[in-house]
Formats: sequence, structure tokens, C-alpha cells
Amino acid sequence: MKLNLLIASRPVAILIFLAMLVLLPPSIVITWWYKTGRIIGENVDLNTQKLHSGCLSQVDTTAKSITPLNSSATNLAMLLSSSFNRTYEISFDDVETKVAPTLFLAFSTIPYLSQISYVGSGGLFFSYYFDGNQTVSAYANSSYSSNRKRYFWYKQPVDNHTGKFNGEAVRFRGFNATNTSWFRAALHNSRGYSSVETMWNSGDDPLFLTSVGMLGTGVISMGVPVKRLTDLFSGLDLHGGILSLITMDEKLLVDGIPNTKFISANSSIVLQLMNPNGAQNVSCTTPESYILHIGEEEYRVSCSAVEISGVPSVYALASPQKGLASLVHSKVNHSYIALIATIVFLVIVLVFFISSMGKTAQWMMCLHDKLIKQMEATQQAERKSMNKSLALVGASHDIRASLAGINGFIDLCLANAAPGSDFESYLKQMSHCAQDLLGLLNSILDTSKIEAGMMNLEEQEFNLAELVEHVVDLYHPVGMIKGVDVVLDPCDGSIVKLIQVKGDRGKLMQILSNVLSNAVKFTAEGHVCLRAWVGKPDFETEILASSRHSFHNYLSCLVKDENKARGDMNALRAVGQNHDSVEIVFEVDDTGKGIPKEKQKSVFENYVQVKETAAGQVGTGLGLGIVQSLVRLMGGEIGIADKEIGEKGTCFRFNVFLKTCEISSSGNLKGNKEAQGDAIRPPSPSLHVQTSSARLTVRTLSPKSDGSQVVLFMQNNERRRVSQKFMEGLGISVSVVDQCNYLPSALRKIQSKLNSYHHSSRRLDMSGRSDNSSSSSKEMPLSAMDGTDYKLPLNRRRDAPSFILLVIDVNAGPFSELWRIVAEFRRGLQSTCCKVVWLDKPTARMINPVRLDPGDEVLLQPFHGSRLRRVIKLLPEFGAASSQGASGNSESSKHSYSKARLRNSQHSGEIQEYVSSSDERYSKKGSSSSPTLVRTHVRVASKISPIHQHGAESSTGKPLFGKRILIAEDSQMLSFIATTTVRQLGADVKNCVNGKEAVELVCDGLKTQTNGLPYDYILMDCEMSEMDGYEATRLIRIEEEKYGVHIPIIALTAHTSGEEALEAGMDSHLVKPLKSEKLMEVIENIKRHSSG
Amino acid sequence: MDLVQLQRQLVEYRTSLYHEGFLDEQYTQLQELQDENNPDFVVEVVSLFFEDSERLLNELTKALEQQSIDFKRVDAHVHQLKGSSSSIGAQRVQKVCIAFRNYCEEQNVEGCLKCLQQVRHEYSLVKTKLESMFQLEQQILSAGGSIPM
Repeated sequence: MKLNLLIASRPVAILIFLAMLVLLPPSIVITWWYKTGRIIGENVDLNTQKLHSGCLSQVDTTAKSITPLNSSATNLAMLLSSSFNRTYEISFDDVETKVAPTLFLAFSTIPYLSQISYVGSGGLFFSYYFDGNQTVSAYANSSYSSNRKRYFWYKQPVDNHTGKFNGEAVRFRGFNATNTSWFRAALHNSRGYSSVETMWNSGDDPLFLTSVGMLGTGVISMGVPVKRLTDLFSGLDLHGGILSLITMDEKLLVDGIPNTKFISANSSIVLQLMNPNGAQNVSCTTPESYILHIGEEEYRVSCSAVEISGVPSVYALASPQKGLASLVHSKVNHSYIALIATIVFLVIVLVFFISSMGKTAQWMMCLHDKLIKQMEATQQAERKSMNKSLALVGASHDIRASLAGINGFIDLCLANAAPGSDFESYLKQMSHCAQDLLGLLNSILDTSKIEAGMMNLEEQEFNLAELVEHVVDLYHPVGMIKGVDVVLDPCDGSIVKLIQVKGDRGKLMQILSNVLSNAVKFTAEGHVCLRAWVGKPDFETEILASSRHSFHNYLSCLVKDENKARGDMNALRAVGQNHDSVEIVFEVDDTGKGIPKEKQKSVFENYVQVKETAAGQVGTGLGLGIVQSLVRLMGGEIGIADKEIGEKGTCFRFNVFLKTCEISSSGNLKGNKEAQGDAIRPPSPSLHVQTSSARLTVRTLSPKSDGSQVVLFMQNNERRRVSQKFMEGLGISVSVVDQCNYLPSALRKIQSKLNSYHHSSRRLDMSGRSDNSSSSSKEMPLSAMDGTDYKLPLNRRRDAPSFILLVIDVNAGPFSELWRIVAEFRRGLQSTCCKVVWLDKPTARMINPVRLDPGDEVLLQPFHGSRLRRVIKLLPEFGAASSQGASGNSESSKHSYSKARLRNSQHSGEIQEYVSSSDERYSKKGSSSSPTLVRTHVRVASKISPIHQHGAESSTGKPLFGKRILIAEDSQMLSFIATTTVRQLGADVKNCVNGKEAVELVCDGLKTQTNGLPYDYILMDCEMSEMDGYEATRLIRIEEEKYGVHIPIIALTAHTSGEEALEAGMDSHLVKPLKSEKLMEVIENIKRHSSG
Repeated sequence: MDLVQLQRQLVEYRTSLYHEGFLDEQYTQLQELQDENNPDFVVEVVSLFFEDSERLLNELTKALEQQSIDFKRVDAHVHQLKGSSSSIGAQRVQKVCIAFRNYCEEQNVEGCLKCLQQVRHEYSLVKTKLESMFQLEQQILSAGGSIPM
């Protein structure tokens, strides 16, 4: 909740902050901006006013610069009047002599003076003035003195510098000076009078005229031209202003402002503006300024009075209003608008931004909310699942307990039920259901265990090859009932080379069983193939990437087969590189319905079943899930490998990592391998040197000079292919036949090949033999046993296959037909050794043993693994004991045994010899080696024996035929077993239950029996009531002395050491439980001792 | 039930017995000893074993209930039981017997009693297992089929 609040408050804070940020600066900026604008406006206004008033003052100064001439004129008048009397009539001469030089002096010295004159009231006149650049004097003289009213006017040019007349005097009409207003006003005014008049010269230029009266009789006037003033004004810079000037007596001096005129009213002057839309008046008496529109422009008009050279006048100045000021004002306004617009825009943008921010925050809050909810839900789900798992573990435990109870009670009921009744069958069904339930429960319990992480691996040493074969053997019968063949493909044989590994045997077996049982379950026809090989070190990555490379891998597996030696090296290297860890890859390939591609991933999940294929099959769907977990527990990975298009079925592939047992040096390794004795060496000389596996290769004479020919006739494609591949990998020449019809032709081909080789030397070889060709092959192994016949080595020198092995699957065709074909083939062979291995189904025996050739072997399916290797060992180059006479001491036991067998029955055979060889191996290997192997051997032997017994030729396979054996055993059950065992070996049995009885029986026997022993052997239990075995033996031995015989007594004991028994005088001891092959071994030993 | 299914069931059941260690290869040997001459050999042997074992167990119980326990006798009984169980391949019974004998040598009464319990348990287990297997075989035979190996 705190988080929530924080998340909620953040955008709000941002909002407020942003709003402050947005509103504060604009308000500051606007006020500052406004103030600055106003100050600028005021300044500009002030400046404009200053400029205007400056203009006005300039105009004033300029006007005042035209100095009034009053003082000069007054002074001149006083100077002149001093030279005259008040009453004195001034004559022209006076004027000429006295006034004229003074006037000229003044004219030339006073600046800007353009006209100076003396006007006498009498009519006298004298004046200097500029007419153009020429100074001209005009004068009026009265040449007639009487008539005073008559004057003559002359004009005469004067020298500019001296004042002397230098030209012709010209008479002209004269000026009417005395009648002018200014003359009258000035005549009695000694202070001077100023006015604007016209000049004397021809241009009538206006000038400022200042006149002063002199003595009341005359006037002195001085004039400065108006042009001089206008020149000054035009020289002024009025900043675009226009000036109009007028005297008070309405003489317009400067007319600048257009469309205006001055009107005088009541001694004041008014400026009238003549606009098209009416007149506008501006009073010029007050120094105010008006805004006027003159034309299209706006002007500021100011009027003011000014005295120019003593003449009062008025001027008006119009300066243009549309200047800097108005520009500045309008620009300031514009900037206001621009600023406000910018701010408004900013605000809008900001609002938009903030709103989008708000939305995002809301969205984020939503997400957070969901996340929190989700997390809570997940946690809850996990808790639930955990609780469920725990409950499941507890519950299944309890259920198992109850189930065990149910099972027990069902069994109790069964014991009481009448056999064969409905009740019994129901109970049995109940029992089966309970068993199924237990199985399901176990798998669920396994899953729970794995989920709880409580599944641990137990390490133990075991033989991997044996394990694999064992598992396949377990499922072979199951498959066979359905008509599915379960095949073990050894690939490159690297599994066999691996010998002992360390790992969890049980779990690995569980994995293999589960996958195999699935494969068998879902395969209706065809085969299930288990491939196993030692993975290369870099294989792990490939299997993880599995699907695409699977075919490639498969190929590489095939390639490895072909290059066996290299595969060998690889395997060794694989073991060597990761010191104690080795990767084993398994593939279970079936031809069932297959799993749809899209479901392949989910089959490994718990409780998932593929509906289409699982129909009708029971199961929880936990199997593969458990398998996957177990495989991962072993560091591997399981997956479904892609099959070729068109191939049926599924191929599961997984790898596990197992530890190899500590075999530090290579020498040890070899030793172990030899001891193991299962590894098959290919007959290649180079490899012999390397591995020096003495036992298997010593008997190989010249491997390359002769090969054995193997003919495989099998119904099942996969098994045939695997067997062929494996044999060819060992360098054996193999021909395969898949149909009964092709068998004769294939055999004939071999026959013809043989015959061509044999052609030359046959006579010699056959000379001493009987004419019955079938007996030659029969005798061959027999003679080899005796070590007297060297025919085979002779044969071997030729290049033809010296040994032919037929492996025939009896199920592939009718037995009689097959037998006929084989018999015919045999007849066709003269000298070459030929052996037939018949493959039979364990359940349905199809072989008629009567017709079998004694050299033949009968093997039960499945034909793979150790059985396949055993068949290969029948070949001479792989150390078949049969065909070689050369044998060391180690084989003496075998030979003696074989001889014993031969004595008993006329039919020797490979089977017997074979049993002996396996016995020999067994005894050599000790208990650590493969018991499975031995078991199967023995099974074969004991299976065959009874069959032969029922045949016409009686007692084949009964090594103890005709022997009498006494068994002393107090336990009824053990006695029963021992009796049956011995009976099966062909002996007659006498039973007794304690030592006392045994002694009595022996004594009786000794008494009655005159020739030979009463019993050939006595089997004596050591611990018996009444009299134990040791005591009985001692008594028997005493009794024997009398007759000078020795009956071999074999102790049966549950103790491992038999020292006590030997001390008591027994010949040997056997550890319980009694085993027929052990018994035979002991008997052989005793025989040897007694004979040798 | 279908014959084939029965046969399959038998094979699976037997496999499971080997799997779980109730039986070992000795039992296979016994099976191999059975032939036409002696068709019920296995059943007979096993029922003998049952009788024998029950007798021995009873005697053991009695012997261990005594005030002063005759450990020699107990040992002898256990030895017998071990021998007979190993002879039919009842592996688990045999293993417990080995432990039992060790306790006997130590004269450990508690251990002996515990082992007796265990032996009894294992024995009853293997008994029920074998009996149900024989019943299954019987069923197959009565249905006219042959016992698969």
C-alpha cells in the first residue's frame, strides 16, 4: 500500500511542480517586459518632445541672430545731427559732403547691410544699395533751390571700396520715400522704427528696414535683406519639420507648411489649415502644440511669437508625428502579443505533456497493481502445489499401507477359497487389480519424490553390458507374445569394452525398463531396438540440439562400426579424457504408431498421455516424466530423435553419465579385459599386438589365410541387420538370407565356391575316410576332441572358407523343410567344417531334436548380446576350442571332461564341449564375472539333455548316466531338490535322512556288492540330526578300509569354507544350494584325482 | 481372461519378483529341473520349503521365548532355514538369516527377536508372492496353455 501511495503521489507532485514552473516565469517576464516597454515608450516620447523643443529653440536663436540695427542707426543719426544745426536747412551739398561719406562708411562696415539711405523731409535723398554685386548710389538733388518742390533723381554706380562715383549718373523716376508710412513713423522717432519693406533695387526684394529720425528733418534707414534670414532657416536641421514665418503685419516671410494660411484677427495671428474636410485653426499666441493631419501625414504643430530684427512676427513649426516614437510604441505592442502567444503556446504544450504523463503514470500504476496481484497469485499457487505434493506423498504412503493390507487379506481369502471356484477367480482378479494399483502408486510416489528433490543416486559397481542385455532379455518374452522382436544393437561394441562402471544400477534399469516397456506396449508389429554406445566427449551438445543432427549421428555411429579400430581408440580416449566419467548414449527405436510431432515435447511432462495412441492402454502418464527426471539426475538428457520420413515409430534417445571404475594403468585394463573374456577381438594382427588378449587370439593361426563364412537366416529384418553389421564389423564374411526360398540357392553358391577350391586336394584328404559323407562332418569335431586328427589344419592352408556357420531361425520356415535344406547342404560338403546354430523360441519349441545333427547347437532367442558373442566364438579365428588340437594345460580339464562325456554317450557334440568351455571360463573368472552368461549356458545344456533323452538314441546329455548316488540330507525339501538335480544328470539316486542311515546303507551295500562300489558318489549334508555328516563320513571311511575301496563323498554345506569337511575325510565339498554344473565340476575333479 | 494376456502377466509378475529381489537365479535352476517326469517339481519343492520354514519358525519362536536361550539351537535352526531358503532362491529370507546368525553369535537377544520378526515377514511375503504366481500358472495350465519361460 505504501508503494501504491508513493506511485500515486509522484505524478501529482510532478504536476504541481510543473505548474509552478510554467506560471511563475511568465508572470515575472510579462511584468518586467511591460515595465521595460513603458519606460522605453516614455523615453522615446521625451526624446521626441526634446527634439521638438530643440527645433523650436533653434528657430528662435536663428531668428534672433538677425541683430536689430536700431542702435547703429540711432548712433549714425546722432553723429550726423551733431554736424548740423537744429534749424539749419540742409542742402544737397551738405548731404554730399557730410552725410554721404558717413553713410558709405556705415554701409561698408556693418555686416549684411544691403541698403542704407538718408531721406530728408524736404525731398533730399541719398542712398547706397547693392544691385546685384554692384554698389549703386541713388540720390535726389535740388538743382533749383527756389522751387523746392522740384527734385531730380539720379542713379550712379559707386566703387565698392572707396565710395567714389565711378560711373555715369542716370536720371530716373525716383522713389516716393517721403510718403511711406515708415518715413512718417520714423521722422520723429529718435529710437528707431523697424519694418519689412522692399529694397530700392530693381528686384524689389523684401528687407528688414530700420529707420531713425534725424533732427526732425530727415530719416536715416538701414536695411538687411529677408533672404539672409531664410538662408539661415534653410540651413537648420529640423528633423523633417516644416517652418512657416509671418510678421505681425501679415507679411509672409517663409511659407513651408502646405495648405495653410495665416489669418490675423484682433491683433493676433491664427494659422488656418485648409483640409479637404474643413478648416482647422491653430492660435499662434499661446506656445501650445497641436496634432494636425496635413495631407496624409500627421504633424505636431507648434506656434510661437518671435521678434526678428525688431519686427514682431509669428512662426509655426510642424514636425512629423510618425517617427521613432510611434514606431517604438507599435513594436512594443507587437512584442507583447508575441510574448503572450508564446506563453500560451507553452502552456498548451505543457498541459498536453502533463496529461500524457498522467496517463502513463496511471497505466504504470495499473501494471504495478496487476504485477502485485500476479505475484500474490503465483505465490499462492506455489504454496498450493507444495501442499498438494506433500499431501500426495503422505496420502500415497498411507494408501500403500492400506493396499498392502488389502493384498494380504486377498491372499488369505485365496488360501481358503475352493480352487477353481468363481470366488477364487474373482479374488485373483482383485489381487491383480491391487497389484496394478500398487504399480501406479509407486510411480506417483517416485514423481513426488523427484518433485520434492529427495531422489538420490546410489552408487554401485556393475557391468553395463550385462545390465543392458538383461533388460532386453526381460522384455523379449513380453514382446514375443505380441509378435514384436526386441533387439539389442551393440553398435560399435563400446559398451562391452567398458566392463565395470559405477552408477545407480537400479535407476538405470528403471529408465531402460520404462522406455522399453513403453516401446513394446505401443508397438503392434515389427521390432523394438535398443542401441547403446559410449558417447564421444563432444556428443553432449549434439544430443541437446538433437533433432537436426540425429541422422548425422546415426551415420557416424555406422561409420564407427566400419572403422572399428578407430572406434576402439575413440572409446578409450573418451574414457581417458574425462578420467572417471563416461557418457553412455541409448536409443530405443520402435516401429509402433509413433508420437505426433506436436506432442513430442509434452510426452515428458507428468500426467500427459498421447490420446490417439494411448487408447486402451492403462497408465498414469507418469512414466516418461519419471524417466526424464532420472535421466537428468544422471546428468543426461532425453529426447525424441527424428526418424527418416516414411519410417514408422518413435526413437527415444537419452544419455547418462556413469563413472568408470578406477582402472589406473593400461596394464590393469588389459588384465581386466582378459579376465572378463567377453570382449571379442577382431582377427586383425595389428590389434592383437596392441591388446595382446592372449586367451582369445592364441588359437588363431593365420587369420587372413582363411575366413569363416557365416550364413544368417533370420526372419526379423532388424535383428538380421544388427547381427550382420556386428559380425561384419569384426571382419567376418556374412551372407544373409531373409526368405526360406532363397536359402538353398545361397547355400549352393557357397558350396560351388568351396568345391572349386577343394578340387585338387580332395582325394588325398578323403582317402582314409569312410564313404559316408555325412559322417565326415559328424566326426570332425569328435576327432578334434581327441586331438589326433590334423585334417583341419591341412584344410586351413587353402584360401577357401574353412568353417561355415549357419545361423537359422526356426521360426522363419517349417523346421522339416529347413532341416532338409541343411542336410542337403551338408551332403554337398566334403571336408569343410560346418556347424548349424538353430535359433528357437523359448515358448514354442519347434525343433524336433531327434533330427538334429549332433554338431548343431540350439539357442533360444533372443539372439543378441552374449549369445551373439558366443556364437561368434564358435568360429575358429575367434578361439573356438573345438577345432584346434593345440591346447595348453588350462584346457586339460575340458578335455578330460569331454572324454568322460564321450564315454557315456556315443554322441559327442558341440553342446557338451561348449558347456565345458563355459564352465572353464566360469571357474576362471570367479564370481565377479558374468553369472548371467553362465546361467544361460547351463540352461541350454540342461534343456537339451532331456530332449535327447526322449529321442531314439537315449541318454545324450546325461553325464552321470548309470551312476548310483547316495544322498544323505535331513531336510526333506533339500533332499528333494538334490535328488531331482542328480536324477536329471542321469544317475540313480538313493535317499536317506541322516548320517546313521547313510552309514548303514553303505555297509549293506559293501556287503552285498562284490564288484565295484555300492555307490559311485555320496552327497552328504554336514549338519544332520541323529548323526551329522562328518561323523558318518568317518564311520564310512573305517568301514571302507575293510574292503579296500574308496567311495567319493561330497559334502553339502551352507558354510563357505569346507575345511572341516575335508578333515573329516570327504573328498570335496559343495556350497548349498546345489547346482548341477558345480556338482559336475567336483565330480570331474575327483575323477581326475583318482585316475591321475 | 485371455490366455496370451495371462501368459504375459505371468512373465511380468515373475520379472517383477526377480526385480524386487524376492527370487534369484536359484529359482530359475529349480524351474529348469522341472520336466515331463516331474511336472510339479517346483510346486512340490516350494511347498516343502513352506512346511519346513514354518516348522523352523515355530521352533525359533519357542526357543527365543525361553528364559535361558540356547543359542546353539537357534543358530542351527537359522542355519537350516538359510540353507532351505537359498535352495529355492528366496534371496531376501536368506539375507535376513545371515544377519540373524550374526546376532546369534553375539548372543544378542533383541537383535535375534528383531530378525525373527523380519524373517517371518519376508517369509510371508515370499510365500504370498510364490503362491499367487503358482495360481497364475495353474490358471494358464487349466486354460490349456503352456507356461512361458
